[in-house]
Amino acid sequence: MSENRPLDFGQFWYSLGKELNEIPIGAETEILTIRSTDFAELYGIHLSSVGPYNIYGYLSVPKGDGPFPVIYYVPKNASVLEIIPQGTSNQIRSRYITFSLACRGMRTADSPYSAMYPGQLTDGIDSISTYVYRGIVADTLRGLDFLLTVPNVDKSSIVAWGNDIALIAGALHGSVTHIVSTPSFLYDSINQRLKTSTYPLEEFNDYLRLYPEKEKKVSKILAYYDLRFHAPAITADSLIIADHEGGLHDEKTLSDLTENMSGPVTVRTSERSSYRDGIFTEEWLTEKLFGQEAVPLIPNHWK
Amino acid sequence: MGVDRDYKCRVVKPDDFSEFWGSVLDELALIDLNVDCERDELRSDEKITVYQVFYDSLDGVRVSGWYTVPISNSKELPAILLVPGYQSDPPIPKDWSAKGYACLSVNPRGKVRSRSQFDPGYPGLLTHRIIDRNTYSYRGFYADAWRGVDFLLGREEVNAARIGVAGSSQGGGLTITTSAMRKEIKAASAGAPYLCGFMDAIELTDTYPYQEINDYIQAYPDRVEMVENTLSYFDGISFADQISCPIMVNLGLQDNICPPETGYSLFDSIGSENKKLFEYDGHGHEAGRYVHAAVIDQFFDNHLKD
Repeated sequence: MSENRPLDFGQFWYSLGKELNEIPIGAETEILTIRSTDFAELYGIHLSSVGPYNIYGYLSVPKGDGPFPVIYYVPKNASVLEIIPQGTSNQIRSRYITFSLACRGMRTADSPYSAMYPGQLTDGIDSISTYVYRGIVADTLRGLDFLLTVPNVDKSSIVAWGNDIALIAGALHGSVTHIVSTPSFLYDSINQRLKTSTYPLEEFNDYLRLYPEKEKKVSKILAYYDLRFHAPAITADSLIIADHEGGLHDEKTLSDLTENMSGPVTVRTSERSSYRDGIFTEEWLTEKLFGQEAVPLIPNHWK
Repeated sequence: MGVDRDYKCRVVKPDDFSEFWGSVLDELALIDLNVDCERDELRSDEKITVYQVFYDSLDGVRVSGWYTVPISNSKELPAILLVPGYQSDPPIPKDWSAKGYACLSVNPRGKVRSRSQFDPGYPGLLTHRIIDRNTYSYRGFYADAWRGVDFLLGREEVNAARIGVAGSSQGGGLTITTSAMRKEIKAASAGAPYLCGFMDAIELTDTYPYQEINDYIQAYPDRVEMVENTLSYFDGISFADQISCPIMVNLGLQDNICPPETGYSLFDSIGSENKKLFEYDGHGHEAGRYVHAAVIDQFFDNHLKD
């Protein structure tokens, strides 16, 4: 049975924003010379989030005059923090300010909390106040707070890129102008989990197999993170990568998300080819930010 | 851009290659495996038992893994050693056990649950102490993966004559080195193999993780020769002539991470007479996974099951 949108949904997220605002961003910057290039400098960035908790990100800034559009690679459900996603042309750093953030539990933000994978998705899910994703969303929003303080950021072009968390960032932070998202674990999770035995959703199956009496409570907690209930607050121009037809998160399944988003939405049905889906994504984003004549920066083997 | 199927990587297998790795194996043989294998109640279900595994490897590093077994009374299970990608977190391989295999998914040093004693990070692992083959990160990393075979050999439910190895990306590279160094491996499936043709790959791509080597060389331009020398001992192409078991390799012809040219060069170097190449045009680093998965299943069924 699907949960409804919690009655205090807005209050819950307002409270988190208020708590976050009371904590200084506290950015500390170090240049990472070995990862800097002829066309971009790389910085390690320490930030404060709710808890308080220390988080960390990689900021790449093109050399030359700005302003530059921003790609914000939001935290993942995985341990490793990448500078840019594996397989992305490094040249992308000549065109965009990129910022990738490790939320609490990921490497470089794992003291004192070091998450397990699998494991992170159900950490603290006993209670709405202890569920780790409350802090993870706060960390994600803090990354956007920080980006607004970075010189040469083009505030009309801030892209949140990732999976489910990219959409939540767009719903809760007004700075996001574009979203590239592949939903995978926060869309009607309590029901979607029943259709699969693969991780990450299998984490919920594992947890509820061991603690079946907690299903109602878990369902209510996950409703605060359900992308369907965040959809109306998303005004950014968005690209949603849906699973292939018949897949767990295919276009039809995601319609309760995509049809309720307030901004323009492009739904791309995956061809199950990182090449074809990757080309489509780079072309979509380049056209949105630079116009039809601009050439996407793609890796050599996609040319 | 077309892919040159006749591409030859420039790596030259060192004359003392066998001596170098022989000494590593000798060192490894002196270390007690010291296995700890504990049932994981949270991850087990009515069909598959999941264990958290730990064992000892080079330098006293404790290596972790996930071990899954289909619930049955069989003492003759075929087994798979599943070797991980570079950045991805090693999975709990319930899917393999659902197909009737005992499966160890190994987390070599530096990966989740194996990082308390050694953790160069990501980026970082690929160039950690790369100037010397005796200190390079992958000396221990490879050994950690190979030790997974010893773990499987010690399991009473596993048929020691039916052990295979599989993986993609870094897992593809580890499949190459493991099947070369451990003759107990009876079948191998390597997807989009990483760690093959390093010095070519850094020129053919401009993407991470190979970009780590370019970063290093940019920072230390006088060390190119030392880097190339070290990597020649760790290159999958240097191991490939020692592979004698049946093996499959699948490549994505638009792979932007592990260039297909290096895959062709690797395949050409594989010593096994029973080798087969699968090329997937229109596919990147996933190398046709959704089609190829069924091919892999059939391959291991043929070689590891009755």
